Amino acid sequence: MTSERRAAGRDLPGSLIAAAFILIGALCWWDTTDMSDPDSYVFPRMVIVLMIAFSLLLILRNLLLGGGRHHLSTAGSWPRRVGLVAAMLLGALAMPLVGFLPSGIAVFLAIMLLAMYDPWTGFRRVVFPLVGFAIVVGFFVLFSEVLRVPLPLGSLFE
Amino acid sequence: MLPGIEYFAAALTPFNVALALGGVAAGTVVGSLPGLTATMAVAVLVPLTFAMAPASALILMGAIYTGAIYGGAYAAILLNTPGTPSAIGTTFDGYPMAKRGDGDLAISAASLASVVGGLVGALALLLLAPPLAEVALAFGPMEYFWLAIFGLSLIAALSEASLLKGLIGGCFGLLLSTIGVAEISSDVRFTFGSRTLLGGIEIVSALIGLYCIPVLIDMVATPDRHLQVEAKPRGFRLREALTISWRGKINLLRSSIIGTLVGILPGAGGSIAGLVAYSEARRSSKHPERYGKGEPDGVQATESANNATVGGGFIPTLVLGIPGTPPDAVILGALLVQGVRTGPNLFTEQGSIVYTFIYGLLLATVLMLPVGLVIGRYAYRSIVTVPKAMLVPTVGFMTMIGSYAIRNNISDVVVMIVLGVFGWGLGRFGFAVSPIVLGLILGAIAEQGFVQAWTIGSAMDDLPGMFFGRPISLGIVALTLLSLFYPLLRARLPARRGVVREASYDE
Amino acid sequence: MRAFASLAGVALAALSLGLAAPAAAQSYPDKPVNYIIPFGPGGESDITARHQQAFYPDMFGQDLVIEYKPGGGGAVGWSQLNDYKGDGYTWMGVNLPHIVVQPMQKDVGFKTDDLTIVYMFHYTPDAIVVHKDSEFQTLQDLVDYAKANPGRVTLSGSGKATSNHIAQVLFDGMAGIKTTYVPFKGTGAAVTALLGKQVAAEWGYTSVGASHRDQVRMLAVAMDERHPLFPDVPTFKELGFELASGAYRGIAVPKSTPEELRQQISDMIGQINHDPEFRKRLENDGMAMLDVGYAEMGAFMAKMTETYHGVAKEAGIAE
Repeated sequence: MTSERRAAGRDLPGSLIAAAFILIGALCWWDTTDMSDPDSYVFPRMVIVLMIAFSLLLILRNLLLGGGRHHLSTAGSWPRRVGLVAAMLLGALAMPLVGFLPSGIAVFLAIMLLAMYDPWTGFRRVVFPLVGFAIVVGFFVLFSEVLRVPLPLGSLFE
Repeated sequence: MLPGIEYFAAALTPFNVALALGGVAAGTVVGSLPGLTATMAVAVLVPLTFAMAPASALILMGAIYTGAIYGGAYAAILLNTPGTPSAIGTTFDGYPMAKRGDGDLAISAASLASVVGGLVGALALLLLAPPLAEVALAFGPMEYFWLAIFGLSLIAALSEASLLKGLIGGCFGLLLSTIGVAEISSDVRFTFGSRTLLGGIEIVSALIGLYCIPVLIDMVATPDRHLQVEAKPRGFRLREALTISWRGKINLLRSSIIGTLVGILPGAGGSIAGLVAYSEARRSSKHPERYGKGEPDGVQATESANNATVGGGFIPTLVLGIPGTPPDAVILGALLVQGVRTGPNLFTEQGSIVYTFIYGLLLATVLMLPVGLVIGRYAYRSIVTVPKAMLVPTVGFMTMIGSYAIRNNISDVVVMIVLGVFGWGLGRFGFAVSPIVLGLILGAIAEQGFVQAWTIGSAMDDLPGMFFGRPISLGIVALTLLSLFYPLLRARLPARRGVVREASYDE
Repeated sequence: MRAFASLAGVALAALSLGLAAPAAAQSYPDKPVNYIIPFGPGGESDITARHQQAFYPDMFGQDLVIEYKPGGGGAVGWSQLNDYKGDGYTWMGVNLPHIVVQPMQKDVGFKTDDLTIVYMFHYTPDAIVVHKDSEFQTLQDLVDYAKANPGRVTLSGSGKATSNHIAQVLFDGMAGIKTTYVPFKGTGAAVTALLGKQVAAEWGYTSVGASHRDQVRMLAVAMDERHPLFPDVPTFKELGFELASGAYRGIAVPKSTPEELRQQISDMIGQINHDPEFRKRLENDGMAMLDVGYAEMGAFMAKMTETYHGVAKEAGIAE
């Protein structure tokens, strides 16, 4: 998937995304049939109709005129991208179990490894994790003590 | 003679000055962290105010509030992530400026604009509060609906590549805004059985996800520097920023007035003020094509407007007892607990509290310049110099704790990440995230205004009169059409008529 | 990675130390209590809690910390209440009719019986409020106009399936009139519409009459007796309509909270509620005081639930 600026051909991904939006619209319309109060469904239905209409227009335009000169480059490392998202998602899901602090530290260190492009010198090996630890603990204290945000402590330890 | 000038000295006690200074500094930091909002910071302080004189408590809360609205600009400029929803419009031009190495200039320009906007708003509060409070009452459901549509018309300008894709995104954003228990009809909508979605998509978390996650995903993928940097530091670049401000003085003034007026409207707030001011700045600019690509005037329009909402929002709060913005609601609550009665007589009966507070707010706004420049410079240097292996995890961690803290809800974090990935993916193929965000923040206002106007109009048997027969509504509709079609008109007019063209050279 | 492992170890150790001290009921409360409001800051539920917060430290030597968990009209907070530890340090505000009507309508993640309510401390009676310039001087004026012009009297109110909405449906039935209810996202927005003359009247609360005294007039209040703050405003009952309703507020705790602690918390809230200065302040805000402790809660809730079930069906709000 290295879609550099394609020739002015068909904007296939654009059309597919538009089709997905049509599907989402249809699904939401089906959900509105459950609502009895017009106050609840009038506005969403109006929006759904517009969204499906615009999506159809986009597909039609792509078919007739071609389109799609505006795809951004996706150069760079895919494993690191996926890793970042996975680390954050896993961290968020783990928070209620192991607590905010351990999970936050783990996420921080994982992303640090993913974002490291310079060699791990001895200095960095020691200082970076320590600074990271300090940042996470600092924010934890700021939020939980100063701002009184009840950060999860983890159900595994209760 | 300024009203209540005798209270000016009262506002200037060392204690109050310290409160204003500390409040602005703390507020600026709060605002710059995505997920920490002015509302939250002010709410945390409420118990503190039980032990304080009401005026001092108000000064502290006002200073924090105004600082937080300003601080939102840092993250918007440096990380493409509005630190508070008020700074959404700041990302449009602030981040492109930072990308090309002008982040320091953008911050200085934002600081100046925020001070100007804050002063205009506070002066309006000081001089014109009772008459201006009427604005809050003149706006009915229909006007809110058209105001939301005006905001949505910005989609045309923000749809980077393709208008159709922008419109689809906008509709999708509107649809996202209806998820969960409906605010006015109490129906459960589009949750598809998920309890996570009952509370709807939290706007601040969604903003963090849609704007910040894509930046992080691309940051982690390459070894390139996050922002361009010049070899040698260039100070605050205050002189350049001053030149820009002076050249754009009309823009600054207009945006500040827009901000004050929108701030007066309960339920609108800083994000809409910024968007409306941005839209107007772009329309009246000689170079609308530069907007969205790093035009300092765009940053100044949003930042002056959103800080003007602080003073503006206090107008209905103090005069009518109707909070103009969410932080105002918290401050109003704190006042009620202290036994202060708001209302038209507040200015005369409890002048010492009100005027001490307003002068304190003016003072805090002025202090924002030095405080902001120093903190802003520090923020800029940190973002520029910190190695990627520290920057990415720090920002990533902040997005998580921030989106959690808004509602103390872990599922908001998950929704934030998912929306972010989604926004990044769509962005690859020409579907920009800004239209989605516009739909999301304007959806509730548009829907409620529409449903209420429809209900009232049907009850009166006068739907057409309701939708198209109210003067303020018509004014907003006209402005919307103007901002949509004016660029087209202007592009054609000079080409057809040489005279006009010549005349414009005389300037 | 070894650095990471040891760091995590340190963190875990630090954390478990903090959790080691168990809560002892004798010394309760020996640390701040978290008082969760399932709405955003600035609303009436928040302001009430702030009043309680101001009295709490002097009585119990600790802080009461207010936090917000808004979403779903309160449902997000209530559906998560029982996930909290029942150690007495988590309280959550509950509101009637919300906690009865919401689960009747759809699956909102909790049932009324899931909530362990320890105290109901006041209610805000429903009231019909008009602008001070309004042509309606008495309730009869409004009823007469509505009879002559069915549907043309517009009344703003706070959302649907709320106390305001139920009162509107019930009153229309009793008076044999047809009015138009215009839902707003909260009392603040509904008042703004009234003050801006976007609607003819508002189905609001006595608190609206209290905080906007100079700008509005109340035609009738839905109480058994007149409100001490408004001796001139008649009750609906005096005028021949059997309507006494409002938005009730109370405090619930997680289900796992032990019995003796539930009773103790109930007594604590009662102690605040009986403070004369506290009562005066809340009455000045337009509230009507109420004292239903943990012991009487079962009977109270059974009665309220039955009433709301009947009313909600009658109003077509739930099947």
